Order: sequence, then structure tokens, then C-alpha cells
Amino acid sequence: MSIKIRMRGKSKAGVAEVKALIKHPMESGLRMDKKTGKPYPAKFIETVEIAVNGETAVNAQWSGAVSANPYVSVKVKANSGDEVSIAVIDNTGSKGSSTLKLK
Amino acid sequence: MKRRSFLKGTLATGATVVAVNAGLLTPTTVLADWNKKAFGSKTTEDALSNFFGSSTTTASSDIKLKAPSIAENGAVTPITVDATAISGVESIAILGSKNPMPLVCEYSFAPAALGFVSTRIKLGQTMNVVAIVKADGKLLKAEQEVKVTIGGCGG
Repeated sequence: MSIKIRMRGKSKAGVAEVKALIKHPMESGLRMDKKTGKPYPAKFIETVEIAVNGETAVNAQWSGAVSANPYVSVKVKANSGDEVSIAVIDNTGSKGSSTLKLK
Repeated sequence: MKRRSFLKGTLATGATVVAVNAGLLTPTTVLADWNKKAFGSKTTEDALSNFFGSSTTTASSDIKLKAPSIAENGAVTPITVDATAISGVESIAILGSKNPMPLVCEYSFAPAALGFVSTRIKLGQTMNVVAIVKADGKLLKAEQEVKVTIGGCGG
């Protein structure tokens, strides 16, 4: 199942703030199930890549300590009309990506 | 005899190196490898030395670390690190000093990006949030205490 991502971004004077909301449980693998006493299996996003017109701008590595349904915002040098894309992969191999044309 | 075994040895290692390279190139070259060692570290110092190769940091007032002084819910603590005042920012790391594994996230920047990150992290208890900015090979640090009334891990 692919990971769902919502993106927003606007370019202003050559700099765009790109915001993304990712739908993901971000289970760290440390949280215990009170009924069974066993930890919930880890499922969190490990790598995030944000690219402008296909060229990598930001590469991020996350741990399970990023909040569930992560929100991330970065600033990139991009003009309106440029395409910004985000791609994520979690520790179980699930992937998700989204592309946005800047206004 | 010695020369012969030496040659054999180099040939063998050469072949394995080629094989490893070929193997690594095929699956995922787009995304950087996840740094398992650094993310599994139990202390801030270990995490830094495993990730950046050094735990020596200099406090810097140029890093703007925005974090709430009191977080009602530690599971969702908004953190903003603004290092746009610093030139040559290579990466930004966010750590929670008392989390079971302090390293929360790390962002590395290509020239097409500015040194700015805003995200939400989990904090297990009241602790210092540490922002590390790597610029021109140096590690700069900013710290702020966040009081957590409800923990984010374990619940």
C-alpha cells in the first residue's frame, strides 16, 4: 500500500516553502501493547527525498521519534511553475510520492 | 610462491569489490542509506559521533530553534530550525536529549535548498531539544528545554 502525501507550496522571490503532510503511523517499535506486553512492530519512514525539477534538494533520514502523520516543511530555491516532488520509503519497504507544480 | 599467492589474493579481493559495487548499484541508489548505528545510539554524544564522526559542537546564536516551552502532548511537538542566517549549511539534525534514542531526524541539503526545517517530533518526557547544524564542516548547536506534560512514547 502506498503512503499518501499531501503537498503545498508557493514560490516567493525565488524561494519556495514546501509543506507536506504524510499519512503514516510512525510506530517506533518501542511502544508496548498493554494487553499482550509485546511491543508493536516498528513501522516508520526512514528516508525522505525532496526534489526540485527532478534534482534532489533535501534528503532526510527519520527515526521512529518523528510524530505520527508527519508534517515537514522545507525551503528550496524554486520559481513558480517549477515541479517539486517528495518521495518517502519506510522500514518495511512501503513507498509514497507526490508532485506539485508551484504557484 | 609468495608472489603467486599475493597476486591470487589481490585478484580475489578485486573481484569481490566489483561484485559488491554492482550489487549496491542495482536496488536503490536514489535515497541515501539509513544510518542504523546513529539512530540506534542511546546518548546524544554517541548519536553525533556515529552520524557526523564528531561530537564536538559549538553553541551558536545564529540558529533559530523554535520549540514550545511547554508541550501539552509530547507526541506532537512542533519544532522549527531556521539556520538561514548561516552560510554553507550542509545538514540539520534534531535530537531529544532524553529520548530512548536521541537522534530524531536529520536533513541534508543540496545547494538548491535553504537551511530551514519545520516538523513535529515525539518527546517522551521533559528534556532539552537539541538542533545541530553542520556548516562548512563545523557542528553548531542550539538547545531549548521543552516541558512535557503528557509523554509521547508508550502512552
